[in-house]
Amino acid sequence: MAPSLLHPPSQLSPAAALQLSQQAPAVLQSSPSTVSASPLSALFSASESPELWTKYENLLLSCLRTGDERAAHQCLERLVARFGDDNERVMAFKGLLKEADAANNGQLELVLKEYDQILSDNDTNIPITKRRIALLRSLGRVSDAASSLVRLLDFSPTDAEAWSELAEIYLTQGLYAQAIYALEEVLVLAPNAWNIHARLGEMQYMAATAPGAGTGAGPYRKYLAEALKRFARSIELCDDYLRGYYGLKLVTSKVLKDSAGSAKQNEADEFSLPDPATIERLNELATAKLSEIVRHAAARDPGWRGYDELEVTAARELLNKDASALPEVVR
Amino acid sequence: MTWISKTITVFGGLLLAHACYSAQEHSALQSLRAATSTLTSSSPTAAALPVDIAIETVVATLVILLGLVLGTRLLRPIQWRVWAGKIEREGEEGFVDNEGEVNKDYVGNPYRILETRPGFVDIRKQRREFAQWVKNGGSGGAGAQ
Repeated sequence: MAPSLLHPPSQLSPAAALQLSQQAPAVLQSSPSTVSASPLSALFSASESPELWTKYENLLLSCLRTGDERAAHQCLERLVARFGDDNERVMAFKGLLKEADAANNGQLELVLKEYDQILSDNDTNIPITKRRIALLRSLGRVSDAASSLVRLLDFSPTDAEAWSELAEIYLTQGLYAQAIYALEEVLVLAPNAWNIHARLGEMQYMAATAPGAGTGAGPYRKYLAEALKRFARSIELCDDYLRGYYGLKLVTSKVLKDSAGSAKQNEADEFSLPDPATIERLNELATAKLSEIVRHAAARDPGWRGYDELEVTAARELLNKDASALPEVVR
Repeated sequence: MTWISKTITVFGGLLLAHACYSAQEHSALQSLRAATSTLTSSSPTAAALPVDIAIETVVATLVILLGLVLGTRLLRPIQWRVWAGKIEREGEEGFVDNEGEVNKDYVGNPYRILETRPGFVDIRKQRREFAQWVKNGGSGGAGAQ
């Protein structure tokens, strides 16, 4: 099924992006090259729809990704013709094109200076601020990017996308506590986002299993307990959530393996783990659900085709690994 | 299941057409009888519709309704976890309308942009990855974030 041009294309596979950008000539041909903003001409010409501009934006992103600069410039021209040079969103797209066209780091520094110039005129231009942060990160100046992002969040604390970016930046730097804090802020803003719950669980699992964390210590158990709860919450928000069950299985297996070695636990704080019998049952549930999902997805049953193939493969590998290690876990 | 619903709807339509035709014939007969009865001056029988035609009309309407209801798609889930699970499990295929096209307002997981973050897209990295993918023969390396 062809991907729709109405959705942001950044998560698509390269093949899908190529497919989208190959639609560019047809889309550009079929829609009028200029749409006037004046109400008088709107009476006589075909009316514009919001979808058209979404399409142009997504087409622009796909074409840039696949290296079709000509079509990207055409899309940008149309956006500029409609919304003007000083529209903040359009300015961000112009910057994006310049970043893509830049041949070396010197030219990128020029683009960065341009962003700074724009921001010195109007420092509430959030799309350009985000572009500047993304460019800083892309140039490898990650700590600069993080501090700019913190300043942006001081000024606009309800921007869930920015909090999420901050969490990823902290994660790349290995600052687990800060990353988890930032992602919790995202959850405050979007409490029903099941993928963010799963992501937070993944981060807490990473924090627990990071080389420096050490086992048996307080934070280690706390992270594991919280990860367990996050994954359980993501499943509660979304039936048959492959990623949630995968994480649940991972965490419960880890906890069971640990408690097989040392039976001591139960510090009476709010992050204590549930009792081993419950964890055992959770593990069994996750295994059963995962194998059901893998079986259906492998058979391409109708109603089970929405899963990402890579995720299904990973789940199958986890199940196989678990099956081979089963005698030790069960005892 | 669509052919069952279509057959039932067509059958109901035939029944309804038959009932209409019967009613029309009945009224034609009545007016003829009324014209002749003025000559013979017999009792003025009321031109009420016979009850079997009325029943047929009602039954035909119900049958058509049944056929149409059987032919509609399932209603969308109203529970959050069921709806979210449908998105994850079925993807686009779970959200097609009667013409078999994906609904216009279908966006997949609406919280996905919190992980893909289009405002912070690193276009140079994406271009590098795409170039790498093309170099590898356009098959492997689907790891696009």
